[in-house]
Amino acid sequence: MSYIVEMKEIYKSFGPVEVLKGFNLNLREGEKVVIIGPSGSGKSTVLRCINQLESIQSGHIHFEGSEINEKANLCALRTQIGMVFQRFNLFPHKTVLENIIEAPLIVKNLPKAEAQTIGLELLEKVGLSDKKDAYPRELSGGQQQRVAIARALAMSPKIMLFDEPTSALDPELVGEVLLTMRELADEGMTMVVVTHEMAFAREVADRVIFMDQGVIVEEGPPQAVFENPTQERTKSFLKRIRH
Amino acid sequence: MSLDYSIIIAKFPILLEGCLVTLEISFFSLLLGMVFGIGGALCRTSSNRLLNSLAFLYVWIIRGTPIMVQLFILYFGLPQLGIKLSSMTAGILGLAVNTGAYVTEIIRAGIQAVDKGQMEAAMSLGMNYRQAMVRIIGPQATKICIPPLVNQFIMTLKNSSIASLVTITELLRTGEQLIYTTFRTFEVYTTVAVLYLIMNSVFMIIADKLEKRMARQ
Repeated sequence: MSYIVEMKEIYKSFGPVEVLKGFNLNLREGEKVVIIGPSGSGKSTVLRCINQLESIQSGHIHFEGSEINEKANLCALRTQIGMVFQRFNLFPHKTVLENIIEAPLIVKNLPKAEAQTIGLELLEKVGLSDKKDAYPRELSGGQQQRVAIARALAMSPKIMLFDEPTSALDPELVGEVLLTMRELADEGMTMVVVTHEMAFAREVADRVIFMDQGVIVEEGPPQAVFENPTQERTKSFLKRIRH
Repeated sequence: MSLDYSIIIAKFPILLEGCLVTLEISFFSLLLGMVFGIGGALCRTSSNRLLNSLAFLYVWIIRGTPIMVQLFILYFGLPQLGIKLSSMTAGILGLAVNTGAYVTEIIRAGIQAVDKGQMEAAMSLGMNYRQAMVRIIGPQATKICIPPLVNQFIMTLKNSSIASLVTITELLRTGEQLIYTTFRTFEVYTTVAVLYLIMNSVFMIIADKLEKRMARQ
């Protein structure tokens, strides 16, 4: 059995603070994994280690069988791993369409016409064709996040990482972003999602991972983790977030 | 004693020549100063310890010593070590090195004022450091840097008067020479002041237009 992402015994610390303490994760192609856990448990750091926005102290990460480290071609690696951030991080000086075609143009050297075709298709997919010439500041948070998803998809990544994609949104805007993510999941995209949206996790995830203090406490199908958690820490966390 | 500006009017072409020299020094020291400043800021924000320390040292020394002393070292001091610079070279180089230190700080602050998420987003899309700086961080930092840079450019144009002390016949020195022959101290110095004001005003107007255009984007 080969995995698209393998993380073995990952240790990561920021100064004296140990964030990941022997983290392991194997991700199959097409699998949707949702990571939940209290803040500071290392959920986001897991995502940021996969695409090497953070370097690890020890352990091994493999992407499609080859090891990722500082010596690897990180730029080429990152083109295959899309990431969506909590704060959207759209480029404020570029229009919506320019945001989406920027990386295809300068990283992949696609001709402009081709990049634009891809960009417009993706905008249609996230339902924002009419906003192609708008600047990010003219959009709602939910619209910005959908553009950010389209921007990541424009590089045709093999896997998408979502780092609390709805946490910065007003409650009434959460739905539209989750809908876009759900459609992406239905198309078979491999996804790792850090979120507090339990309904989404329940419906979309193949596997839910509950993390606390840098390690996996419990994992399994959403049904099992949510309905019959075996660990005390999982139980008390689920109890707290259900209010 | 009554004021008489008629002599100034007669000698005006000489003062204008002084203006041209002032503009020439300012232009080249600003150009070179921007190169030093951009280089300095890239070093200062880099993770390379050596480059970072060198840029820190540069800014620390230049900001901490008077520009007049810096110019005197270049023009009067270096010949003792066998390095003889022409007054023009010493003047432009001195002003450029001085301007560069301040520009380093301005651009460093501009780069660091751009949200950290911008670099991360660029990196996550597969851009390398250079692409991210040129396409994503640079344009946003430029917008932030323009007002303080305009300030610095005005300072440099005014500081160019110090070049008169290393025998460059720019506007101030031209005026002083005019005083030796006319003894019209007040009239000459006020005229010189007005000429500096005009040059800076033209510059401020251009900068203002540029700023407004950037803000519209």
